[in-house]
Amino acid sequence: MSCLDYRRMLAAGEAETADMKAHRLQCSACAAQWREHAEFERELRIGLAVEIPPGFEQRLKNALTYSRRRFLAAAGVAAAAAGVGAYVWLWRDGPIALACIEFVMKEEAKSIMMGAMPRAEAEAALAGTLPLERIERIGQIKHVGPCPFNGATAYHVVLAVPQGKVTLLVMPEARLSVSQQADHDGLYASVVALRKGSVGVIGTDGAVVNSVVGALRT
Amino acid sequence: MRFDDLVRQHAADLYRYAFWLARDRSQAEDIVQEALLRGWRAYPRLRAQAAAKSWLFSIVRNEYLRVMEASARQPESLEGLDPADERPADLGMEMREALLSLPASYAEPLALQVLGGFSCAEIATLLGTTEGATMTRLTRARQALKRLVAPGSAKEHKGGRS
Repeated sequence: MSCLDYRRMLAAGEAETADMKAHRLQCSACAAQWREHAEFERELRIGLAVEIPPGFEQRLKNALTYSRRRFLAAAGVAAAAAGVGAYVWLWRDGPIALACIEFVMKEEAKSIMMGAMPRAEAEAALAGTLPLERIERIGQIKHVGPCPFNGATAYHVVLAVPQGKVTLLVMPEARLSVSQQADHDGLYASVVALRKGSVGVIGTDGAVVNSVVGALRT
Repeated sequence: MRFDDLVRQHAADLYRYAFWLARDRSQAEDIVQEALLRGWRAYPRLRAQAAAKSWLFSIVRNEYLRVMEASARQPESLEGLDPADERPADLGMEMREALLSLPASYAEPLALQVLGGFSCAEIATLLGTTEGATMTRLTRARQALKRLVAPGSAKEHKGGRS
C-alpha cells in the first residue's frame, strides 16, 4: 500500500484494515498522520453524539407500547368484522330456502285444502327420495300431497314432532350443491341435498328445524 | 433478535442520526418514534436479520424524508418555532458548531459512518449512491470540518455567524 492510498482511505474515515495497519507500522509519516486522524475522529465522535433527551427511551417504549395496543385492537376489530361478515355470508338467505318460507306462508293452506295423497301413492312417489318410513321415525305425518314448487312438482309433508309442527317440501328434481338457510317473517327454513333431490324443512323454531334436518340425514 | 432488543440497542444512535437529519430535537424524537412503529409492523417480514441495523437506519431516513415531503406541502408556520431548538444545548463545542454548519449531504454520511459504524459501501446503499461518491462526500466533510475547527478559523467562523 502506498502513502497516497493510505491517506486517501484515512481521509474518508474508513476503518483501518490489516493492510493499512501494516503500512502505518513501517511508515513514520503515515503513523503521524494516523495519530492526528485518531484525535480528530475522537472529537468528531463527541461532536456527533448529541445528548439523548432525558426520558427519551421511556417515552419511546411507552409510545411503542401504546401504538402496538391500538394496532392490535384495530386488527382485532377487523378480524371480528371479517368473522361477522363471513357468518352473515354463510347464513345469508338462500333463494330456495326463501321460496320454501313463501310456500308455507302463501300456499300451504291451499295445498292442504286440495287434499292428501293416498298412502300407497305417497309411498311410491317418495320412495326414491325420502321414504315415508324415514319421515315417520321422526314424527307423525299429518298430510302428504303434491304441489307445484319452483317450476317442478314437490311433495308437501306436514309433520308433527314432539317440539311442534314442521313442514317438509320434498323436491325430487332439485339438486343442491350447498345447503341453504333462510330466516324470514318469523319462519326458518333449511334446505339440504338428499341422495336424490332435496328437502326443505320449514318451521317457526330454527333449533327444531335443524334437529329435523339432522334426523332426516341420518 | 426481538424487535424490542434491537430498538434498545440502537435507539440512541437512531435518535442522533435523526437529529443530524432534522437538526431539531423534538422532530428527531418524533421521527424515531414513528419510524420504529412502522418498523415494528414490518419486522416480521425482515428476512435478513444481519441487516437489521441498517434497515432501522433506513426506516428512520425514510420517515425523515416523508416528514419533509409532508411539511413541504403545508404552508410554513412560524408558530412554535424556537430558533434555540435548532441548536443543541452545548453550543460551546467547536466541533458541534462546525457539524451544524455542514450541509446535510455531508453530515448525513458522517453520522452513518461514525454513529452507525457503517462502511462506505453500506452508506452508499443506504443513500442510494455509489461507493466512490460516498467516499468523496466523507472526505470533503472531514476536510471542511478540519478547516472550521482549525485554530483561527473557528473564531472567524463564529464571528461570521454573529
